[in-house]
Amino acid sequence: MSEPLLEVKSLSTHFFTEDGIVPSVRNVSFTVNKGEIVAIVGESGCGKSVTSLSILQLVSKPGRIVGGEILFNGMDLTKMTEREIRKIRGNKISMIFQEPLTSLNPVFTVGNQITETIRLHQAVDKEQAKKLAIELLKTVGMPNPKKQYSSFPHQLSGGMRQRVMIAMALSCNPELLIADEPTTALDVTIQVQVLNLLRKAQRKFDTSVILITHDLGVVAEMADRVIVMYGGEIVEQNDVYNLFKEPKHPYTKGLLNSTPKIHQLEDSLESIEGNVPTPENMPAGCKFNTRCPFAMQKCIENNPDLERKGDGSYIRCWLYEDSEQEKAEAVVSL
Amino acid sequence: MRKYLIRRLLQIIPVLFIITFVVFVLVYKAGDPVALMLPEDASESDRAAMREALGLNEPFLVQYFSFVGDLVKGDFGTSFRSNQEALPLVLERLPATLELAAASMIVAIILAIPLGIYSARKQNTLTDLFITGGSVLGKAMPNFWLGIILILLFAVNVQMFPVSGRGSLMHLVLPAITLGTGIAAEMTRLIRSSMLEIFNQDYIRTAKSKGVSNSVLVYKHAFRNSLIPVVTIMGLQISHLVSGALITETVFAWPGVGQLLIQAVNGRDMAVVQAAVFVIALLVIIVNLLTDLAYRLLDPRIHYS
Repeated sequence: MSEPLLEVKSLSTHFFTEDGIVPSVRNVSFTVNKGEIVAIVGESGCGKSVTSLSILQLVSKPGRIVGGEILFNGMDLTKMTEREIRKIRGNKISMIFQEPLTSLNPVFTVGNQITETIRLHQAVDKEQAKKLAIELLKTVGMPNPKKQYSSFPHQLSGGMRQRVMIAMALSCNPELLIADEPTTALDVTIQVQVLNLLRKAQRKFDTSVILITHDLGVVAEMADRVIVMYGGEIVEQNDVYNLFKEPKHPYTKGLLNSTPKIHQLEDSLESIEGNVPTPENMPAGCKFNTRCPFAMQKCIENNPDLERKGDGSYIRCWLYEDSEQEKAEAVVSL
Repeated sequence: MRKYLIRRLLQIIPVLFIITFVVFVLVYKAGDPVALMLPEDASESDRAAMREALGLNEPFLVQYFSFVGDLVKGDFGTSFRSNQEALPLVLERLPATLELAAASMIVAIILAIPLGIYSARKQNTLTDLFITGGSVLGKAMPNFWLGIILILLFAVNVQMFPVSGRGSLMHLVLPAITLGTGIAAEMTRLIRSSMLEIFNQDYIRTAKSKGVSNSVLVYKHAFRNSLIPVVTIMGLQISHLVSGALITETVFAWPGVGQLLIQAVNGRDMAVVQAAVFVIALLVIIVNLLTDLAYRLLDPRIHYS
């Protein structure tokens, strides 16, 4: 369980726009172990999707990875040639996207799109690929898979389309599945079905999953470990139980407080004051200082480092700055 | 689908009636054909007799309804000039025009598809700038000018191709390039912008995430989607092809419907003008209908009802 499958080290992805450089992802490091579900949470624009696209080298122009390593089974994905990374995509690492209607090609049948992935990475003929695709459609709970094999995406409902995406993503038994907001575009009842399906598949194939979402309900339901991102940086990382029980970073606290809870009757929901700063207005110091209720002079001057605490969590906040002695203890306890 | 087809075919009838009416009014107002038919020193009584014989002295509405009466029987009347039935005269010229139109389309497609795709893939490079600039130039050059320049260059200076006329494949080359260039230019720009839009679609990202190679990405996933808007606009452009054909045929003395029509207009040959416009209009309508049907092949989301 603890063997790392993916190690992202100091990843930075910047967008080189006409108005200047936008550092969407800065110095992001995290690990995904075998069989683990890691959730990356944060508001729109926090860099979570760009992080996931960076892993498969799918960031489109004018974006570019400017630094860091992405080790997958020890191989650095950022150093691979286009041909080498193509053999990983859809095969060892596959992706599921948010909007299943626009993510499927409208002019090809479901079957065509699934068999395309199968035939790219497996030495099978057309007939075998078709059999495998129908089998996959059955696995993802598609009713009448033989018939739906020849359907076009527009003939299916949103949930069915997302099942097709999942079937496609699972078609080569990937070691890592990156699901970018897989349920955001779906009805609540369908969301549950899709999440159950993802978990079932994850257990069956022992796949590792990176789950990108802004929905804390989904996180609590699915994740083993949670990474919270803000302004292109990781601000907190912890296992799911402790993160929900005892959030540390003011941003994480704000996120959790802005989720309605059934036990507490409140007239209005709390929200985090202000808006996510646009990339060009990103403050100096801690990126959250413009909205943080605890902001101090120090926060405006310097950005804290992401520090590992004794309990295994990571936090980027001056409020939790260790004294030198505590730091030494933390090092010893490793 | 069947209902749709029947409705579309029925719509052709009123359209053709309106077109024939407009043409009738234009030719009626254009002047007296008798003045051109008889020698200059013909007496006024000769002219009157001629008009009487041709039915030209009747009031406008009487002339129009007698024309329509014949028209529904498929009779466009007789050419004043050649004394032949007008419709067969036009139909006899039709293959030449179709040949020219088809050859021009082929020229346009051969040029536009690779150029459009290439310039989209190389967006904002020097190559892209050249192709885009070239297509503006291609669109801006009038057919009659391009035709004459091509004749001067490749038929007079370098005698590679015949100056004019129809016959061998060599005769077809220059007129087809003349007529095809403008269409190719328009098509290149359309394919380029359409491809660029498609490159940003989510399903292209999905295809990439599956490990698809660049050429499969462009030619399988992007190109077919990009054709949907291209076909729409090209269907509407078909009338430009026809009007371009009129000019090109005249420049190259290509014995098609266009050349015949221009001669007939100059000679105020009412029956031939009517028949030629009718045939051309019908052709445009049919091509538009075929374009609409072609969508279904390209885009499974389209249903006709």
